[in-house]
Amino acid sequence: MNTFSAYRPFPDATTGALAIVLVALPFVLPSVTLASELVVFAVGALSCTFLLGLVGLLSFGQGLFFGIGAYGAALILLHSNSGSLVAVLAAAAMAAIAAAIVGFLSVRRRGIYFVMLTLAFAQMGYFAMLALKNVTGGENGLTGVPRPPIVADLGVLAHPQAVYAFLAAICFLAFVLTQRVASSPLGSVLRAIRENDIRADALGYDVRLFKIAALAFGGFLAGLAGAMHTIFLGLAPPNTIEPEMSERLVIMAIIGGTGSPMGALIGAGFYVLLADFLSTLWPRWLMIIAFLMIAIVLFLPNGLWGSAELLIGRWKSHRARAVSPEPVDG
Amino acid sequence: MQGQVILFQLLNGIGIGMIYFLLSVGLTMIFGLMRFVNFAHGTLYLVGAYTAYSVSLLTGSMWWALAFGPLAAAVIALISERLILRHTYEMPHEAQILVTFALALIFQESIILIFDPLAKNVPVPSLLSGIVFIGSFVYPAYRLAVVFAAAVIAILLWFALERTRFGAALRAGSESTEMVSLLGINVQKVFMVAFLVGGGLAGLAGTLSAPLRGVEPFMGSEALGVAFVVVVVGGIGSFTGALLGGLLIGVVQSMASSLWPEGARLMIYGAMALVLLVRPAGLMGRS
Repeated sequence: MNTFSAYRPFPDATTGALAIVLVALPFVLPSVTLASELVVFAVGALSCTFLLGLVGLLSFGQGLFFGIGAYGAALILLHSNSGSLVAVLAAAAMAAIAAAIVGFLSVRRRGIYFVMLTLAFAQMGYFAMLALKNVTGGENGLTGVPRPPIVADLGVLAHPQAVYAFLAAICFLAFVLTQRVASSPLGSVLRAIRENDIRADALGYDVRLFKIAALAFGGFLAGLAGAMHTIFLGLAPPNTIEPEMSERLVIMAIIGGTGSPMGALIGAGFYVLLADFLSTLWPRWLMIIAFLMIAIVLFLPNGLWGSAELLIGRWKSHRARAVSPEPVDG
Repeated sequence: MQGQVILFQLLNGIGIGMIYFLLSVGLTMIFGLMRFVNFAHGTLYLVGAYTAYSVSLLTGSMWWALAFGPLAAAVIALISERLILRHTYEMPHEAQILVTFALALIFQESIILIFDPLAKNVPVPSLLSGIVFIGSFVYPAYRLAVVFAAAVIAILLWFALERTRFGAALRAGSESTEMVSLLGINVQKVFMVAFLVGGGLAGLAGTLSAPLRGVEPFMGSEALGVAFVVVVVGGIGSFTGALLGGLLIGVVQSMASSLWPEGARLMIYGAMALVLLVRPAGLMGRS
């Protein structure tokens, strides 16, 4: 029914739908900065969607890798002459390495213990940022980060529209890459681990190693989102590495539904737009999001995208039955 | 470091460690009993601390706060267990985590709504505001009182768990809930009492730490992370594990703060990583 639970040829219809959405966003939304914020968090939420939906790993620690990506990109851009693309990719690679190290420690425990460890390591990242204030700027974060052209002199990021185009392109590639991984043999093994890791182990797969690989890929996506966030804002504020960032990414993934990568886009879009709207009305809007999350966990376990898919499926079969006449006996 | 400084930091560490123990013991007890991880556990610490703040502001006495802080947390733990949490026992772990996490967010936002997002100081009880001389060694009376109070509670708790019928039911419940209920013990009631006591202790941890560190709305989520570290280090489901883990983490944090003040909080996660490498199941955990 969706890309995560069954093998499906790649690229598929959702890839095309994603391209259309990304092109349409800056024209549909009230501002292009809102569109940029949306695609940044779509990639961030995708890291949680991938881990929970495909591998069954609930990580409350993706904010750590988001933060490493954000600070890593800011440091590279501040202290070297590399272009924006190299900075973003290098920062994402740093986050992936960090995720592999944290993964090495946390896959020693399974289930609930694993979730607790991801949360603890996310807090560690925040305290590390405060402790290393010579590098990270402490509570002030890193400001005045330049926004050089994408590669050499090509792709000048002077206008918000150009920034959006760059970020949307990365977002598209990140989604395609995730779909590719999910429909690869590696993806099948990861699904097997999600369904029954003891059986996967018995079949001869090194479950720990596969989990670490999945966590590294999730860390890569989160770091990518963090680096995109730095390009988007032109600074790396401390809230990119606060534990709240981890929580935000999890909430987005859950609201959207983790059955398909598209859930991340829907969840991030829903959260960013709702936050943009509610924050002007009531400063404590997070409470509404929390109630919403309880409602989704209790009543829509597939999230918004999963429920929509279910409805469309039912509607289609209903119509098919209504249109096709009863077979007449010959 | 000189001997005096080391002794001072060691005592501070034991004080913080005892508070960490009180914070974590409910979490580990409830997990052992029901395999239920309460991501809203830090909220009870938050409620305890803010109740202490309000009561000491209203009555001018920290003694009333000491009584009401744990009480408020225990009542909230009980109400949330009866109204919401018990409906999630049959759900997958992920759903439990997300529901309790959302609950913690709701409480955090409510605290900001009722008070404000700023940090506030809470006075030390006037009787304990002075210092104590031990020979030539000087130490704040309140911190010493915290260590003693927590030690008394730890002993009482150990006694209740090991030497009473209820404690036996609770320990047996953590081995096999089904068997205990077949023996005619009302398991629902045991769950309720575990929540009540565990919540009250987390509230007490918040109350006791309020004069030491003040109160702010985000202390709950921070406390949750610390409780997880203690539980991972000590081994989940184990009373002694929570005590050992709490003390170890408290002493590490306190010692590190005199060597590298900015990195003190960082060190507790370093200690956790080390324990994970050497003993993945925790100091007292059964793998």
